[in-house]
Amino acid sequence: MESMIADMAGRMFSEQVTQQTRSRAAQGEWQAALWQSIEEAGLPLAMVSEEAGGFGVATDEALSIVRIAGAHGVPVPLAETIMANWLAAQAGLPVSTEPQTVVDGTGLTLSKDGKGWMVSGTLNAVPWGRNAERIVSMLTHAGVSFVVSLPTAELTFKTAENLAGEPRDSTEINLVLGADQLAEVALPTDTLIHTGALMRSLSIAGALETVLEMCVNYANERVQFGRPIGKFQAIQQYLATMAGEVAAARAAAEMGVDAFDVAPTPLLVAAAKLRTGEASQTVAALAHQVHGAIGFTQEYALHHFTKRVWSWRDEFGTERDWSRTLGRAALNGSSGNFWDFVTGPSGKGVTA
Amino acid sequence: MTMIDFPAPSIGSDFAVLRQEVRDFLKQEMAEHTPLMRARSWNGFDREFSRKIGKKGWVGMTLPKAYGGHERSPLERYVVSEEMLAAGAPVAAHWIADRQSGPLILAKGTEAQKRDILPRIAAGTCSFCIGMSEPDSGSDLAATRTTATPEDGGFRVNGTKLWTTYGHQADYMILFCRTGKSEDRHGGMSQFLVDLKNTKGITIRPVIDMAGEHHFNEVIYDNVLLAGDALIGTMGGGWDQVMSELAFERSGPERFLSSFALIEQLIALVRLDPTEQQEIEVGRLAAHLMVLRRMSRSVAGLLDRGENPLLQATIVKDLGAIYEQDVPRLARSLLSRPAEPGSADSYSAVLAQTVLTVPSFSLRGGTREILRGIIARGLGLR
Repeated sequence: MESMIADMAGRMFSEQVTQQTRSRAAQGEWQAALWQSIEEAGLPLAMVSEEAGGFGVATDEALSIVRIAGAHGVPVPLAETIMANWLAAQAGLPVSTEPQTVVDGTGLTLSKDGKGWMVSGTLNAVPWGRNAERIVSMLTHAGVSFVVSLPTAELTFKTAENLAGEPRDSTEINLVLGADQLAEVALPTDTLIHTGALMRSLSIAGALETVLEMCVNYANERVQFGRPIGKFQAIQQYLATMAGEVAAARAAAEMGVDAFDVAPTPLLVAAAKLRTGEASQTVAALAHQVHGAIGFTQEYALHHFTKRVWSWRDEFGTERDWSRTLGRAALNGSSGNFWDFVTGPSGKGVTA
Repeated sequence: MTMIDFPAPSIGSDFAVLRQEVRDFLKQEMAEHTPLMRARSWNGFDREFSRKIGKKGWVGMTLPKAYGGHERSPLERYVVSEEMLAAGAPVAAHWIADRQSGPLILAKGTEAQKRDILPRIAAGTCSFCIGMSEPDSGSDLAATRTTATPEDGGFRVNGTKLWTTYGHQADYMILFCRTGKSEDRHGGMSQFLVDLKNTKGITIRPVIDMAGEHHFNEVIYDNVLLAGDALIGTMGGGWDQVMSELAFERSGPERFLSSFALIEQLIALVRLDPTEQQEIEVGRLAAHLMVLRRMSRSVAGLLDRGENPLLQATIVKDLGAIYEQDVPRLARSLLSRPAEPGSADSYSAVLAQTVLTVPSFSLRGGTREILRGIIARGLGLR
């Protein structure tokens, strides 16, 4: 479902996210001009309702921005910021167009500090930590879920990067929270990892579409033995295989989006993340095979996308984690009737 | 754009009431069916069963009421189809007629053909086979040699069709053959409605498959006279007609549920005390199936809107065959029980049956290589 906001985002990324942008970002340079355009377009608030100061567009429309950003290899924390604002809005916390990030709160402890609250612990692999104004997470205290929005001004980050050169930093947290930095929320804390997994599924689906497109273009242009390599059946079979996997990845990610009601449906997100991750295995491997040596260079754009999907598939739950979660549910649920499980209570699909 | 679009299945396409009706019916109707019988599923030919589900209104569901149909959507038909296949119902006697011959006759047939055939298809009493492949024309359908030569009173047909599934049982064949010479490789082809039970000069010989089953046949046309009104659609328009038929043939749940009986056997054995590896692999089986279902339902939605989703259908079939064919390997990686034809152990018997059937999954309805060639062209490879 493409829409005005998604079209606009696509056009903006086409103009502003070039090979140079991605290369500079991978060298650690913050893309301030790009972020400014993203802010001006209001994209960080895509999933926030109008009452809370956002766009009030449908969830599937808002989430399609994440897929489109993946397709352009947008080298800033747009997915993370969209998600951070959504979580903040769910808890009634302030939203903002500044760069933000999200982390699984497993490494953090929330405790009472006099009349206020304190958060402490170690965070590893914080996406874009050094560039984020706030880190949003979900924590539990005495059985109650909270969203926390932690200011990064006082934090020191130990920098590190994922395979694609995207920041994945570590930091120690010891913060006393102000009133607008924590609020109860009527969602379980694993909403965070489920939403994160859905975001990464969408980003992977988008990136894989671009990888396929690059391969088709390359196969039509690259001439060997007197003809474009796309004329060879071996190459055609590879590209057809990739097309199937890319279509499956998109279908898997959108399956997760369609089941997003007030929050993601955990088992559908599990299936989406697992399936997009598996698709990225086949598609990236064949993409490099089709491209030959040029695809293995810094200079050529392919690696920006293949490295991203290789990183994203391990983030917010690995394929192993999600397949185990889904498998356990399938074996326990619906008294072990696999077909009932897959089709769900109404045939619409797994929901529990 | 190179992306092949699979729009989301329509909202409300789950049809829970219909699904439950089908489940209840099958539970009762198939109470005596063994796992091995279920594993044969759409190879199971049972006219009585087809007649019963025709009575329920579950054959020819999308056909107009004027022709005995029920005017239900392809998505409702999808629900019935997948429930039949998941249960391993013996659907062969009506499957081809319901899936593609009925829609073809509705789209291209004469009024007389529609009135004569469609009500019987919807009743589940009329069985069809497909006359496409020949000894020298497998993947290369344009190499078809069987000819229908116009003459006074109709067409004279000569040639041999091969791999004709249930040709020995079917009432009718949709015959694809050459009716004229053409410069264009795809021109000069036409389709005919052949009454196999009441036409002289047709010899049907069995071809036994490697599992020992008889569903394939060789169908020989020796100077067979077909009446002029046997032509379906336009003279010389056969190629395009076949191409639109293929979207129906390639996208359905039979393209990914063929090994489902083995999945069920496997899960029954690992369910109570699964190892970590078993949980992981069952999770993968579930995720892939969930996505294939979504894609197949998406194609049903496209058919519903009158589009020709040949490319999407081709992708569903290619991905579906990979899934179905991987099940025996997966089962062996999770359980140390051998495949044993006719074993009293239902898992071993179903594994044996499945092992002997899976090679056909990437051959029937278009080989993997042909499908991928179609997809590659769809991607714009020049």
